[in-house]
Amino acid sequence: MAEPLMQIQGLESGYGEIQVLWGIDLEVHEQELVSLIGSNGAGKTTLLKTISGLVPPTNGSVLIDGEEYAGRRPDQMLTAGVAQVPEGRRLFRTMSVRDNLLMGAYMRPQNDPGIREDYERVMAMFPRLAERARQDAGTLSGGEQQMCAIGRGIMGRPRLLMIDELSLGLAPRAVEMLIESLLELNRAGVAILLVEQDVATALDLAHRAYVVDRGRIAMSGTARELADAPEVREAYMGI
Amino acid sequence: MLYLQVLINGLVLGGLYACIAVGFSLVWGVLNVINILHGSFVILGSYVAYFAYVHLGIHPFYSIILAGAVLFALGYALQLGLINRVVGAPVLTTLVLTFGLDLLLNNAMLVAFSADYRSIQLANPLGRMDLGEVTLPLDRVASMLFALGLTGLLYLLLGRSRIGRAIVAVRMDREAAALMGVRVRRVYAITFGVGAMMAGAAGSLLALIFPISPLNSSEFLGIAFVVCVMGGLGSITGAMIGGLALGVIESFAALFIGPEHGLTIAFTLLILLLMFKPTGIMGRRGYE
Repeated sequence: MAEPLMQIQGLESGYGEIQVLWGIDLEVHEQELVSLIGSNGAGKTTLLKTISGLVPPTNGSVLIDGEEYAGRRPDQMLTAGVAQVPEGRRLFRTMSVRDNLLMGAYMRPQNDPGIREDYERVMAMFPRLAERARQDAGTLSGGEQQMCAIGRGIMGRPRLLMIDELSLGLAPRAVEMLIESLLELNRAGVAILLVEQDVATALDLAHRAYVVDRGRIAMSGTARELADAPEVREAYMGI
Repeated sequence: MLYLQVLINGLVLGGLYACIAVGFSLVWGVLNVINILHGSFVILGSYVAYFAYVHLGIHPFYSIILAGAVLFALGYALQLGLINRVVGAPVLTTLVLTFGLDLLLNNAMLVAFSADYRSIQLANPLGRMDLGEVTLPLDRVASMLFALGLTGLLYLLLGRSRIGRAIVAVRMDREAAALMGVRVRRVYAITFGVGAMMAGAAGSLLALIFPISPLNSSEFLGIAFVVCVMGGLGSITGAMIGGLALGVIESFAALFIGPEHGLTIAFTLLILLLMFKPTGIMGRRGYE
C-alpha cells in the first residue's frame, strides 16, 4: 500500500495538567474519506486541534508524506496541505462571506490566479453563498454558515480537510446538501477526516472509520465493518 | 460667527484627538489590553518631532514618518518581548504591566528631557487665513487634516490589506484566524506597533500645537480613553467621530463655562452618554 498522506502514532496531548489523548494511532490515505466517531468528551475535537497545531502535542508523531509535523504551527500544517474546519463554524461574523472565503486563502500568494478559480468553484458548489457574497457572515443561517466554513477550508486548497461536526444543529435538508458537496469534494481528490455525531451518517459516507473512546482508539476498520459491529450499533446507534 | 470659529477650533482639536485615540482603541479591541503607555507614546512622538526640528530642521509634518517608525519599532518590540507573555490574562494583569512600563518610559523621558515645557517655534509658519470674521490657523488646520488623513489610512489598511484583514480576523476569533494560517502572536506585535505608530504620528502633529513635557502624558491617555469609550471600542470610525465630538464639546464648554472647565464638561457628558448608550456612539457593530 502507498505511503499514507497522514500517519499518526502514539499521539498524546491535553490542556495544561489535563491529558485528553492517550496514544492515538490513525492514518489517512490520499483521497480517502475517514470518519471519527465517539461520544462527547472522547477527544475527537482535541485530536483535530492537535493535528492542526492549535494544541501542542506532549508525545507521539504526526507524519505528513513521511515527514514529522507534530508540534508545528497551524500555518505550517496548512502549507503541508492540512486544513481544519472548526466546530461551530467560527466564521468572522462582521466580515462579508466573500472576505471570509478569502481569509481561507490567507497563506497563498495574493496574486495567485488559482484563488479566483477556487472562489468560483466554491460559489458553484454552494450557489446560496454566491447570492449572499456581500452579506456579513453573521447574518447567514446555520446551514449557510457551514457552507461558508467549508468553502473557507477549501480556499486553502488542502489535500486533507478535517471537518469538526458537520451536521451539529443544522436542518436535515442543509445536512443533505452539505454531504453531497463533501462527496463531490472527495471525488475531486481531497482527503477528508470527518468528525460527526450522527454515527449512521458518518459510517454511511466514509471509506474507513475510527471509534475514539476516552482519548484512545477503541476500534477501527472499514465503515461497513464498524456499521455491522454489535458494539458500535449498541453504543452509538442505539440499535 | 463666534460660534463658527469655536466650531472650527473644536474640529481642529478633535481631529488630533481622533488620531491619538485610534491606536489606543485598536490595541484595546484586538488585544484586549488597556495600554497605559499610550500617553507616553504620544509624548515620545512629540519629542522625536521636536528634536528632529531643532537639530535637523525637519518640519513636524515630515516627522510623522520618523516618529511613526520609531514608535512602531518600540511598540513591536515591547509586544513581542513582554506583553505577548500576558495577552489573554485578566485585564488587571495586562493593565499592571503597561502601567509599570509607562512608569519606566515616562520617568526615563523625565530624566532625559527634563520636565521643562518645550515648544516648536516654526521658522516659516503658514500663518492665518481670514475668511470674513472667521480665522483659520493654517498650521493647526493642516495638522488636523494630516491627523484625519492618517486615521483614514488606518481604516483602509484594516479593510483592504492582507495584514489588515488578519488583524480584523484575530480580533473576531483568534483561534479561527490561526486556522487560516495567521500567526497570531506576530499579528499582536504588529497591532501594538501600529497603535504606537499612530500615537507617535499624533505626537508629532501635537508638537506644533501644545508645549511638550512628559508631565502631559496622562492627559493624552485620558483623552484616548474617553474618545475610545465614547466612540465604541475598537472602531476606527467610532474613534474618529468620538474624537471630533470631544474636541467640539470641549471648545464650546470652554466658551460658555470657561476654558478651565472644558475637559470637565466633556467628561461629564461622556458619563451621561454612557448612562444612556453604554456601547458608545458607534455601538458594537462598528467593528471594521
